[in-house]
Amino acid sequence: MEVIRIKYDKDDIIRKSEEVEVCFKCSACSLFCPVTLNVSKYDIENAFIAQLFNAEESIALKDVWMCCVCEKCLMICPQNADPSEVFNNLKQLSYSKGLAPASVYGLAKQVLKTGIAYDIGAKLNADRKKQNLRELTPNENVIKELNIIAEKTDLKTEAD
Amino acid sequence: MGKYLFFKGCTIPAKLPNVERLALEVLPEIGIELIEEEAFSCCPDPVQLQGANHRFWLATAARNLAIAEEKGLNIMTLCNGCLNTLAIANHRLKENEELRDAINKILSDIGKEFKGTIEVKHLLQILKEDIKLDSLKNKIRKPLTGLKIAGHPGCHLLMPDEILNFDDPTDPVIYDEFIEALGATAVDYLSKIDCCGVSLALVGNKEGNNKAIHTKIADVKSAGAQILSTGCPFCFTQFDMGQITASREYADLKENRIPILYSVELIALAMGRSLDDIGYKTHKIKPALSI
Repeated sequence: MEVIRIKYDKDDIIRKSEEVEVCFKCSACSLFCPVTLNVSKYDIENAFIAQLFNAEESIALKDVWMCCVCEKCLMICPQNADPSEVFNNLKQLSYSKGLAPASVYGLAKQVLKTGIAYDIGAKLNADRKKQNLRELTPNENVIKELNIIAEKTDLKTEAD
Repeated sequence: MGKYLFFKGCTIPAKLPNVERLALEVLPEIGIELIEEEAFSCCPDPVQLQGANHRFWLATAARNLAIAEEKGLNIMTLCNGCLNTLAIANHRLKENEELRDAINKILSDIGKEFKGTIEVKHLLQILKEDIKLDSLKNKIRKPLTGLKIAGHPGCHLLMPDEILNFDDPTDPVIYDEFIEALGATAVDYLSKIDCCGVSLALVGNKEGNNKAIHTKIADVKSAGAQILSTGCPFCFTQFDMGQITASREYADLKENRIPILYSVELIALAMGRSLDDIGYKTHKIKPALSI
């Protein structure tokens, strides 16, 4: 049996997600993980969840964003190791180091700009009008409050 | 009639406005009164923004929950992502006093406070727990008799089950019971609990994304379903638009495409609306259906 090796920030990851220490790499999670099932660089023998901890930091902190937090790994894990919680923590590490996909920083920026995850353009409102729905307009008070929360929680909106 | 604050989220108002219109128009006919609210923001999403900054994600969710608390109404959502974020945040903040105090310290700067006085429910959960599916059966005007429909509950409707706690994540039944309550035939298929693949699309992994879509659609077809139905806007777009993009890699997706119908669209059809009424022509996949 092979134990999980973590090549980067090991102490930090384990402190935040102690559950990972009990993983004995049985690969039960890989039978259900949508990343292992669908992405060709991962397979049952090289499962996404186990491989992510063995990968070099630059790869691990990029690929971790493939995780959709479906928690099927948690559903099946005989050890209750909760890999999805570890991945949430790895995503935070990735985001703070500027290694997340550009779209994630873009999403944060967008939410602070319009209050929702999308830009509010003419096409969007034309489609709403066809459904007899009122136009969407950015709600200034919502935006102001979200920006205060972002400041208080140190939300980055740029990779650097 | 049950009254709920309608948490529309971002994707339904921005990308699927027919679903928003149908919810406001049809759900009152089955006993769900919806109150609109202008002060809600993005939930925010459990995949990317939860990962980006956990405190921002939690505090923003708590702000949305605090708005519903001020109105004294439970939240109804039509989106699995919004359900997941708001239900998890609601649970954690109710259970953990230390966390609640820390988040309320942030919210105090915008004059809000999370108290823990409301519940968050997805439409399907309301149909099961509040309306009751037997009662829904009695309310429908035009049963969808003869239609073979496969249900896709979607990941974030099922897990974490200790918080959402209304269906079995390993063998979900609610979506099939919902389909049957509308008079249609629920079709079981192999990859029912599999992910739609949206997080692979979000990171630009086309190969993995196409495979997730292909597996699901091929299974639904081989099980003999005419329609795939879901109650999540991300899953909907994945399978509707996704059948076209994935067909560049999987030739069998070029023909006999499976139409995707949103949960609320199915309810509207069962309440006597036509395909034109529900906005079927706004779909990407829209073969002729005799309904």
